[in-house]
Amino acid sequence: MTLERRDKNLYYYRSVRDGEKVRKVYVGAGELACISHEGDILRKTEREAQREKQRAELERLDALAAPVEELSEAAEVLARAHLIAAGYHRHKGEYRRARSA
Amino acid sequence: MPGALELSEETREHMAELQGLSEKAEAGDPEARKELRRLVRTSSPEIIGRASDIARRAEWMLIKTISADEPLMEEAVEARMQHMRAEIAGENPTPLEVLLTERIVACWMLVELFDMLMAAQLNKDNERRTSISYTLKMLKWQESANRRYFAAIRELARVRKLEAGTPAVQFKTQVNILRG
Repeated sequence: MTLERRDKNLYYYRSVRDGEKVRKVYVGAGELACISHEGDILRKTEREAQREKQRAELERLDALAAPVEELSEAAEVLARAHLIAAGYHRHKGEYRRARSA
Repeated sequence: MPGALELSEETREHMAELQGLSEKAEAGDPEARKELRRLVRTSSPEIIGRASDIARRAEWMLIKTISADEPLMEEAVEARMQHMRAEIAGENPTPLEVLLTERIVACWMLVELFDMLMAAQLNKDNERRTSISYTLKMLKWQESANRRYFAAIRELARVRKLEAGTPAVQFKTQVNILRG
């Protein structure tokens, strides 16, 4: 979005994506240009704040899930080691007692 | 230096060793199985102790989040967890069963949390709904938490079924199931 001054007048344009290209679309001049520009800046700031809030929320959830993953990994490794040490082996996802054990 | 919610470097090394030996033993190496038995006996208490510690801290954080710091809700969730723990672990659980129980309880809490958050996201009266990318990410986590939860239940059932009778490797460690 650009606010352009030409011959003491203000003109406001928005950048609009059209497929691969970005088009410059005329919004208005004078008072309308200023109001539209400020409105756009406000909306952009709100969007950024919302994105930041969501990012922080996702980080918080990630921090909550990470220790559960850590615990799951430890439990899985240990359970498998126990079963194999007890004489089992996996066959197509199922544990069977190994003949050599 | 690991945080309070991460396994120590030493524990990770023991886990890697157990994993390596498990693979070799499964491939038919009798020496590896012998060594695995020894290592299971010596390192299980440490791994179980540390993982249980992480579980308790993680559960505490989850309780705080789910209850939104409301004391009554906090107590209710904690009581529910203790009940679950006692019910799943049963009488005289082995230390491994206690760890697998902790895992089930922690996974259940994560499932509950994501279910709650997703329900809020999908509620049409919720004016604070977030972007679709956020919702999709949440959905992915919800699915992953569910998968992990069912895997945890399956693992405990399998260990119980296969270790029924006399366990091949015995060791002693004490993990308290009930708090407070």
